Amino acid sequence: MRVSGIFGLHDVPLRIDREGISLSVERTAGGLLYKRACMDEEVEDILLSSDSKILINPVEPVNKPKELTPHFLIEFERSVFIEPSARRTVFVKFPVEIGVFVHGKKDFQILDVLTLNKQKFTLYGDVISGVICKYWKSEVYSTIPDTNPVYEGVMELNITNTTARWVEITKAVFAAYGMKIYYSDDMVAMRANMRIVSKKVAEIDFVNSPLEKGMKRSLELYTSRLRQIPVIATKFLMDEGI
Amino acid sequence: MILDTIVYGDLTTLNLLWIAVCLIIAVLIAKVVAINIKRSLKDRMDRDRLEIITKVVYYTIIIIAVLLALPALGIHPSSLLVAGGVVGIVIGFASQSIVGNLISGIFLMFERPIKIGDQLRVDDISGFVEDIHIVSTIVRTYNGLYVRIPNEKVFTGIITNYVANIARRFEYVVGIRYSDDADLAIKIIEDLIDEQPLALKNPSPQVFVDNLGDNSVNLHVRIWAPATEWYNLKMELLWEIKKALEENGIEIAFPQRVVWFADELRKREVRDAESES
Repeated sequence: MRVSGIFGLHDVPLRIDREGISLSVERTAGGLLYKRACMDEEVEDILLSSDSKILINPVEPVNKPKELTPHFLIEFERSVFIEPSARRTVFVKFPVEIGVFVHGKKDFQILDVLTLNKQKFTLYGDVISGVICKYWKSEVYSTIPDTNPVYEGVMELNITNTTARWVEITKAVFAAYGMKIYYSDDMVAMRANMRIVSKKVAEIDFVNSPLEKGMKRSLELYTSRLRQIPVIATKFLMDEGI
Repeated sequence: MILDTIVYGDLTTLNLLWIAVCLIIAVLIAKVVAINIKRSLKDRMDRDRLEIITKVVYYTIIIIAVLLALPALGIHPSSLLVAGGVVGIVIGFASQSIVGNLISGIFLMFERPIKIGDQLRVDDISGFVEDIHIVSTIVRTYNGLYVRIPNEKVFTGIITNYVANIARRFEYVVGIRYSDDADLAIKIIEDLIDEQPLALKNPSPQVFVDNLGDNSVNLHVRIWAPATEWYNLKMELLWEIKKALEENGIEIAFPQRVVWFADELRKREVRDAESES
């Protein structure tokens, strides 16, 4: 589905009214006024700038309703069984969270994050050693599914079974610090590798390349934090079951 | 000159002043280094570890400065080793509780049952851990009071750390009338929990008829939430459950008794007899 015009760098004044999102940046006497209404939530900010631009692009889907965890879990509607020593590619959907940044004098500042999706958290592992994850349930597709990029993105998951046994996969957990999000007018996408090292353990990391030619790289929130805290792992080790 | 006055041995007042100045400079250097460590590592590690690193660096600089200053005072560190045993026994007897608190503090730092920022209860004191010093732990109670707990009490007492585990469960008992549909009530509550982002999907919530009470059918609601968020969710959800049940014609039962009056019974018997005749 094509939703042109929402993602990208916009000049001010700006007004977007579509897909349940009402967003505007108006010039005022002192600068700019940012207003947004979406899903019964309203935000209003004053920008002390006159010549800024507004960048709207998908960000890591772990910011709403509040930043509680950098981990994101996708539960599969149906279990996936992968044969021994095999490499297969599947596609799953993930919820899109939209970041609104103000851009001026070579610097970006996040203004707002919004989403049109239902939000839920879950626990991966047990209460002592597990992690809280943002939760999403998705069907597993063999080809790229059709999505509305304002609501859902597509994750290409390259699964490698390094074991000599069949392995059942019911979920995948991702670390937001490693996410590489790409977008176009038609699609929001990420690419990830899932390396199964045993029946219960897998390692997941992201691929820094677009799913399709011509897609633009998003300005992510967690990637910029990673520059400040270089010791944080961008891979996630699923050692509490897959 | 006063400065040339010999205090003891070869030590003059001037030497003492120099040593004092050197120690003050060492304290200042320790403070500057500690502040800079805090500033540069603030965004890179959690507050608890940062506090420990800062304190270790701060006290190390001061201890080194004191050890360097001792020979100037005519005291050689090697002689302290001999005297240390005797002094230790004296200090041990004289300040038993302080030493107890100090050792407890060291064990608290190693065992780490609590961290700065955790929510805990020690005996009857509950609140946020503000700081863990070498002899005491500072707690800010939920109503904003400053409480200093000696480390010995913390270490030997029963510590309940509310946020040590990543998630925790809370529960409600919802009593509905016997005339209400319990299956419908369960469905309504389950849907409400499902709508709440902070009510965890896994471990899954439980809603079930727990017991048939004197005045109500008691539904037990068990919900898991992130340890840092459970209380807000608990406060928010109960009223929403009450409102949602009432919107669907299900009411929260209140204690009631059916009272039979003997006179009324007699009247009813007379009325029945009259109607028969």
